[in-house]
Amino acid sequence: THNLRKMACTWDVSSKRRHGQTDFCYTTNDLPPAVCFKTKEKRVEIPVPESSTTVTITTNSISGTAFTTKRFEIHKTDISFVPLTPHILSLTPDFSTSTLNLKWSDNGSVFPYGLDAFWQIQILRKEAVEKVTQVTYYSKLTHEDIILSWNWTSDMPLECTSHYVKIRCYINVTQFVGPKDWSDWSPVEEVPGKDTDPNGGGVFPQDTVVAVGSDVTICCVHEEGQQIQMTYGSQVYPVIHLSSRSSAIRVLNASASDTSGTNVVCSRSEAAIDGTVLIDGTVLFVGYAPDVPQNLSCETSNFLIIKCTWKPGRPSGLYGKRGTNYSLFERISGKNVSCEVDEMNRERVCGFPVLADQNNYDFILGVSNPIGQTQSSLLVDLTQRVHPKTPEKLTVSGNSSTSVHLRWFVNGSFAEIRLLCQIEISSGHSERKMHNVSMPGGKFSTYTAQLNTLHPYTKYQFRVRCSAADHFWRWSDWSRAEEHTTLEAP
Amino acid sequence: MAAADSPSAALRRRDLCSRGIRLAGKMRSDVVDLLDTYVERQGLDASASVAAVEGVPAAAVERWDEQTGTQRLLENLAAYRAFRVLLSQMLEEHREQLGEADAALGRAMASVLLQVSAFAYHLEELLRLESRGPPSEEGAPPPPAPHLGLFERKLRGLGVLRELAQWAVRSARDLRQLTKPSPGSSSVPSRAESP
Repeated sequence: THNLRKMACTWDVSSKRRHGQTDFCYTTNDLPPAVCFKTKEKRVEIPVPESSTTVTITTNSISGTAFTTKRFEIHKTDISFVPLTPHILSLTPDFSTSTLNLKWSDNGSVFPYGLDAFWQIQILRKEAVEKVTQVTYYSKLTHEDIILSWNWTSDMPLECTSHYVKIRCYINVTQFVGPKDWSDWSPVEEVPGKDTDPNGGGVFPQDTVVAVGSDVTICCVHEEGQQIQMTYGSQVYPVIHLSSRSSAIRVLNASASDTSGTNVVCSRSEAAIDGTVLIDGTVLFVGYAPDVPQNLSCETSNFLIIKCTWKPGRPSGLYGKRGTNYSLFERISGKNVSCEVDEMNRERVCGFPVLADQNNYDFILGVSNPIGQTQSSLLVDLTQRVHPKTPEKLTVSGNSSTSVHLRWFVNGSFAEIRLLCQIEISSGHSERKMHNVSMPGGKFSTYTAQLNTLHPYTKYQFRVRCSAADHFWRWSDWSRAEEHTTLEAP
Repeated sequence: MAAADSPSAALRRRDLCSRGIRLAGKMRSDVVDLLDTYVERQGLDASASVAAVEGVPAAAVERWDEQTGTQRLLENLAAYRAFRVLLSQMLEEHREQLGEADAALGRAMASVLLQVSAFAYHLEELLRLESRGPPSEEGAPPPPAPHLGLFERKLRGLGVLRELAQWAVRSARDLRQLTKPSPGSSSVPSRAESP
């Protein structure tokens, strides 16, 4: 039986005599009356009995007279359960990832709810259709027809040679007492390789990226029976025969490639008509997944832009469009910014706009490249991360012998905080003095300070730097120095 | 050349030719240096054979000595206009593939591209001395870069630079030929004889 309800009975007639229809009778659980019908076939389908059933088969002559009758006592333990052969719905290749996606129906509607089903999937390859792997996949039947899906990633590009898949199933019907067996294998589904395409040729995978330490199979699809040589970088590799039109090499534990990648060259032994040796090739980029960003730090110099910096860690060895991408995601606002990063700069920088009415920022710096991704996070209160720009347009004035008036401009919008500015006073022979002054921050403002108790008729140099007053983070750089000489004492 | 030259035009052409010869010489040595760097940075085999690159007029020419001055200038101009497009494509691809990772090679390519553009302009100047002037480039958008795998692009770049090096030699010869009073006196090597 295929479905635990109906069972197929088949028989044969040993007599050589020509015979007509057959009379087939069976009892249900050995209770009369028997059910009888005529058939020309030697196969009938009858209900699976609860316990046992008696079958009577009468073979008639052409004229309809019975010439042989046989009775069979069939017990439930005699009936074997073999699921129907599964049917592959689709086998879809993803050449970019060398992955096969298999879809099939579990035909569950035929069976009671909750049965355990085991699916053996066989992958075969090459011209000789050799078995590559066999996998057992488990599922639970739900009395509905469910489409199951399974992925398999090949260790070689799917273009290299044809891949084949077949599937069979075993359903663990615990309460079924008879023998249980695997279904037949499904018909084979094929994903043809480029070596079956008359115009197919080339080296595969084309321009792919793999992690350092990977084992990589690279193949060359060529003309029928052509002798080829394959080099990886500058090294000739032994060739593995896949089919009459496809050969491969296997690179183990690949090391990091140069900036422009590692060339894999397939050269045909016989030259073309004009004497040139025909070559095909591909480029393999071997690098690292991005390292976790180190020393992530964010600050603002003007309450307009938040500047985040970090150290990239180990270089990935991948550049250009295969280089590392950075994005800054702020969890509270949900805003995401992708960062323009100069790969050759040791320190990485990314700007994020200061958001209205938000002081706390919960940053996630996302880092990804073709091999992997990682992230680093940082929670900051912006008012505690103020690193003002260098004060500009410092002017010193005063017509007094002991005091001066300083003015300077700081580019930025500091209306929400107090600024602490430090004025450095130096004059030729005396020691440098520092004078601190704090004031409410302004929006792109000019700030002023008055210095007293200076010496008359003395040339002074003044410069100023600023920081946040309440939560010190970093001083700005010093402004340019300004000179001023106090008047003579009156 | 087509029309009898006035003394100033002849002087102007001689000056342009001799400056062009110097420019071609400089371009050739830079291209040869670039070739070495390119082969090394792209991991290529210097002896790799490369099929003729589509869109690049061959430097080797038959019956070189029978060419008129105008033919020489027109062929040169067509070649360097083609090289300008090809080198721009190479530079664009270089930035896309490597970003700033190999800035030195990028700068070397940009420098040769600049010289090729300058030489093309130079040839246009020479053609302006003739009545017909240089053919216009409008309405002839550069052919898009063919869709090739990276290795094929590397080989194509090698082919472009090799051909450009050959053209630099031929251009110097063509310009020397133009400075001579009478047309054609020595023959151009075919591809095999080129340095």
